[in-house]
Amino acid sequence: MNQDINNFLTIIEKIIGMIGSIIYLIFSGVIVKQVTMMSKNINDKYNGLLIAVSYFHLVAAIVLVLMVVMIL
Amino acid sequence: MVKLLMPRAKDLDTVASDDLVDKKMSINEKVYDIMGHAKSSLSSILVNPKVFDFGEKGEEEKVLVVVRAHWFTNLSWIITFVFMLFVPALMNFIPIPGEIVTKYKLLISLFWYLVSFAFGLEKFLAWYFDVVIITDKRVIDIDFGNLLVKKFSEARLIMIQDITSKVSGFFQTIFNYGKVKVQTAGEMPEIIFENIPNPEKIIKILQILRDEEIKKNASREGML
Repeated sequence: MNQDINNFLTIIEKIIGMIGSIIYLIFSGVIVKQVTMMSKNINDKYNGLLIAVSYFHLVAAIVLVLMVVMIL
Repeated sequence: MVKLLMPRAKDLDTVASDDLVDKKMSINEKVYDIMGHAKSSLSSILVNPKVFDFGEKGEEEKVLVVVRAHWFTNLSWIITFVFMLFVPALMNFIPIPGEIVTKYKLLISLFWYLVSFAFGLEKFLAWYFDVVIITDKRVIDIDFGNLLVKKFSEARLIMIQDITSKVSGFFQTIFNYGKVKVQTAGEMPEIIFENIPNPEKIIKILQILRDEEIKKNASREGML
């Protein structure tokens, strides 16, 4: 009985973790889109760097999703 | 005797007055004269920026001044951001009933650092891309409210009717930043620039540019 409950909780954990990390991944994609759009409108010295930083953030979000899949 | 032999300048009576000398200064020089030179691309005020450009710029339009919010307005989110970075370390000192498994700790920490990073990036982007642009033809306010909202307001210099500024509160007075309100005769009745550094200098530049535009317009009409 306890084993069943533990399994159930583990699945719930995994689902919540997956949903959370995927929502975050979408959010980081929106940030990339936002920075690209802003850079098209306003062109200044550090635009390239900011786009690179936003892509770095997106990669980190992908790593988070992978870690949730592997660890949980 | 020697003095008598020296030729007298013939044009002494026609030496230009200070006003006329002033008129000979180009707009760029006048702007430099008022604002000084920007030291970095991350300054709140960029004068005659060489790299800066924006999507709606006309072909012959020249960007004279770019203004971002005063650096002091960033201080609150920078402090919050630094505090957020230290939260996982601080959690070690708080006794938590039960024990969190290491794998969860790792995931929670990674998630927390990502959220902190996104928070800092969002705030920086909001500061960096929310700009007031003064060109030789118009004044523009580009405002990226949140993630995917862009607000673009502009007023032609010749349409500017009244410019007022308001510096209120302790920090605004100490660091000299505040609100500049531009009232126009155009479709947009007024444009408000928030947290602008040196509002009185911005007003002066706008007044000079407006007067120049009025003169140009008058001379064009005179020629017709």
